[in-house]
Amino acid sequence: MSIIEVRELTKVFRQPVKGPGLAGAFKHLFTQKYVEKRAVDNIHFSIDEGEVVAYVGPNGAGKSTTIKMLSGILIPTSGHVSVNGLIPHKQRMENARSIGVVFGHRTQLWPDIPVLESLTLIKDMYDISSEDFKKRMDFFVELLGMSDFLHVTARKLSLGQRMRADLAAALLHEPRIVYLDEPTIGLDVAVKQQVRSFIKKINREKQTTIILTTHDLGDIEELCKRLIIIDKGQIIFDGPLESVTDQYARERVLHFQVMERVENPRQYLQGLPGCRLEEKSDTHFSVYFDKTLLSASDIVSRFLGAANIIDFKIDEPKIDDVIKHVYEGKLHLDPREESV
Amino acid sequence: MIRKIYISLANRSMQETMVNRTSFILNIGASFLIILSSYYLWKAIFAGRDQLGGFSWEEMKAYLIISFLSNTILSYFSEVKISQKILDGSIAFDLLKPIDFQKARLAETVGSSVFEGLVSVVLAFLFLFLYEGVAVPESPITWVFFIISFILSQTVKYGVIYIFSIFCFWTTGFLGVALARAAVTSLFSGALIPLSYFPSTLQKICTILPFSSIVHYPISIYLERMDNIEILGIIGLQAFWAIALWFFGKWFWSQAVKKITINGG
Repeated sequence: MSIIEVRELTKVFRQPVKGPGLAGAFKHLFTQKYVEKRAVDNIHFSIDEGEVVAYVGPNGAGKSTTIKMLSGILIPTSGHVSVNGLIPHKQRMENARSIGVVFGHRTQLWPDIPVLESLTLIKDMYDISSEDFKKRMDFFVELLGMSDFLHVTARKLSLGQRMRADLAAALLHEPRIVYLDEPTIGLDVAVKQQVRSFIKKINREKQTTIILTTHDLGDIEELCKRLIIIDKGQIIFDGPLESVTDQYARERVLHFQVMERVENPRQYLQGLPGCRLEEKSDTHFSVYFDKTLLSASDIVSRFLGAANIIDFKIDEPKIDDVIKHVYEGKLHLDPREESV
Repeated sequence: MIRKIYISLANRSMQETMVNRTSFILNIGASFLIILSSYYLWKAIFAGRDQLGGFSWEEMKAYLIISFLSNTILSYFSEVKISQKILDGSIAFDLLKPIDFQKARLAETVGSSVFEGLVSVVLAFLFLFLYEGVAVPESPITWVFFIISFILSQTVKYGVIYIFSIFCFWTTGFLGVALARAAVTSLFSGALIPLSYFPSTLQKICTILPFSSIVHYPISIYLERMDNIEILGIIGLQAFWAIALWFFGKWFWSQAVKKITINGG
């Protein structure tokens, strides 16, 4: 049963245009010209209860606009949205009771009082009983490792701590639907992992429906089975994650920094399938390889004896690159054909 | 019945005010300096006179204390907080909460005012103690009326602050809005100089505007310028403004929300 229904949804913004320079600014004082920007352009999708969906696209593609319409803080220009049987912008307060939102760039915690005080405030806001509150807090504190900063004021938290506290704040009332807008942005690997497994667990145990926007392919691969790609306001892909990652996101790049120039480095890769080498400078070369065919250690071991390696690092493809490729038509994506 | 959340909001807001005590103390110190300087200014004006425009020097001192209280009790913190929410976009979170925005902000304002008010009252009594010869009403019933009137005056002031803060939806900074609000309020409320010093047309205009409910009327009650019937009329008028501004604020807020929900933040 679908919990979110979006049909023919369109949002048009009117943006003021200003001519160049001082003259333009002066003119703008008297005559305002506007251009229409179609931030979201006739999109359709439906999401089932308990699904975890990645909603991705480049900056300015219309992701946040869609999320804002789903949460009821933006009124659609036309089209139909239904969340949990409600029309969000018409029943914003009722809708608010069943949704939770995390904006990675923002916090809803009070800056100058301890985190726990902000959380007990949310308890009262949603009329959560003390019993439930205690139970849920125990769960969050354990899974998110929050015990050592519950009594610290939000202003003093590190980014990772703040993000975990914000997750707890958004999920305290056990919403049926959660919108996570870049919940792992700027986090270190350990916290990222903690956040991901927390989201996974919430989804599994409470059947919470999760819509996730992110630029981190790791988030998507670990959490989502389904991917919706939006670009320039239009949905350009909606289907299972594998059909995208199998095709494009297989390529990894291994960058080597070496002490002195290696003569003809290509010779060392002989016999390894599906990889190519690019020399960036005398002391820097990169190897492109297919992760399903090779592992990074296969490649590194080839160079260990031959070169004096100072440093190496692996680049994973960014989801933005995937989207770009999809949009440019370099990748043919049609889940009906692929999912055989 | 007040929902528990509003009490909790007041509680958290009080906590934050206490944490931000440095800026609060600076702010109240500045207000105190202003009142001191106007004390000496008025003292010079009153030198060699018993009366000026219907005020004795003793009454003038009472006037200064009350306008000081009115200026500081509901001040900086609550005003900045609403504007800031609008300007930095954290208002999105408020729109996503199942509580009424206006009531929530009132609860927060009340919370911070309890603490701020306490400090202001202490300072006012210090002033009373240091500078004797301040007019004090004798009749206890005047005190009762005055306190009711003063509470209503702060409610009216909150209404004004709330409405002005919403203007931040159309501006990019809060300072201009806050200064405009302060200028208009202190001139038309009588906080700067007593309204009776104004030309009579301006006086009439002032009594029509809601601002006179903030300082002018509570002081008139305190100085026992009116009989009980008139006092009840004034309290009624203040209550009218408190309610009218509340509903105007509600309407204005819904218009502003319509604007942001249509055009984006």
